Amino acid sequence: MSEEIYVNALKNTLTEIKNISPDVKYSFIFTEDGTIVARDEDVENMSLKKAVYSFQNLMEKADSIGGLNALSINAEKGKLYISRVNDMYLAITTSANADVAYLRSIVNVIVPTILKLLKTVAPTPLKFMPSQQFVVDILTGLFAGDSAQVDEERLMEWANLFDGKDINEIEIESFRGKKTVCNVKKISDSKLQGKGLILLSEKTCRALEIEKGDFVKVKPRAS
Amino acid sequence: MTSKNEFQESLPKNNIQKRNGTLSIKLQNIKTKGGIIGYIIRNQKSASVDVKDPTKIIDYALLSSTLHDSVENMISSFELGKVNNIVIEGKDVKVLSLTINDNRISIFMNKNVNHNTIYKDLQS
Repeated sequence: MSEEIYVNALKNTLTEIKNISPDVKYSFIFTEDGTIVARDEDVENMSLKKAVYSFQNLMEKADSIGGLNALSINAEKGKLYISRVNDMYLAITTSANADVAYLRSIVNVIVPTILKLLKTVAPTPLKFMPSQQFVVDILTGLFAGDSAQVDEERLMEWANLFDGKDINEIEIESFRGKKTVCNVKKISDSKLQGKGLILLSEKTCRALEIEKGDFVKVKPRAS
Repeated sequence: MTSKNEFQESLPKNNIQKRNGTLSIKLQNIKTKGGIIGYIIRNQKSASVDVKDPTKIIDYALLSSTLHDSVENMISSFELGKVNNIVIEGKDVKVLSLTINDNRISIFMNKNVNHNTIYKDLQS
């Protein structure tokens, strides 16, 4: 089963939860490493990332209480509930009057059931490739081309994660949420190796609305 | 002799001290209840930690501080407005966190304790 089908199944689950309980405003599912696996369309990407990043910070400090299984915030204009479901986290925001206990009882049945079902259909657990951060540098020169360049070491690490498959493509995402896919190869200029850089063509930078020195998130894609 | 102006200025301060005193008494009472592990109360001037296991003090203080900062970011992301209370649950322990009169309070308890009752006790 492909990652796309898996993600769609979870996305449909979120939609169904919203249908059952109209108090739900936004919902999304993310992994421990911060990868957002599924989300409903209404929620803005930047808001999600900020919230997930904050949750991850909290997770790091939660060993003293036996990890972080759930968080609920009860605020004047709404509620946020994040709950661990197997090896993922489900986050839901609701209106201020929502019955979170009722909602909790629904999601704690539906989502684990769907995940169990998906596991039965695809017994090998799907690996959601964590995105990695790079600092952008601009590719210059007549023969620069449009392929991105990263350290060879990184390409080898990614290949290991994909059971030895060659990594020819990467998905690059700016912190404003702009995404593009491009070919990738090792950094040719030895002076730029080992610095955590990603060399991108000016065309790619324009597409992502980024410039030299900006951070981007990169996910590898196996051929 | 206290002038009228001085008296008016000192009145709110006295009220705050009185309210904080009441809060401390409430927290002390809560701590005697079954399943309560301890609490941390912090404001701009001082912090007080009362936790049964002293080896946990630093970890709990760090968690309490991170919790408030993280939640601030989360509520601004989703425009949830002013926070009434926060609950986090680990495998063994849960934490109820709230702010009363500029005092940030975190109460650590076993998972079987009804945190709603504790919340009501603090708000009363």
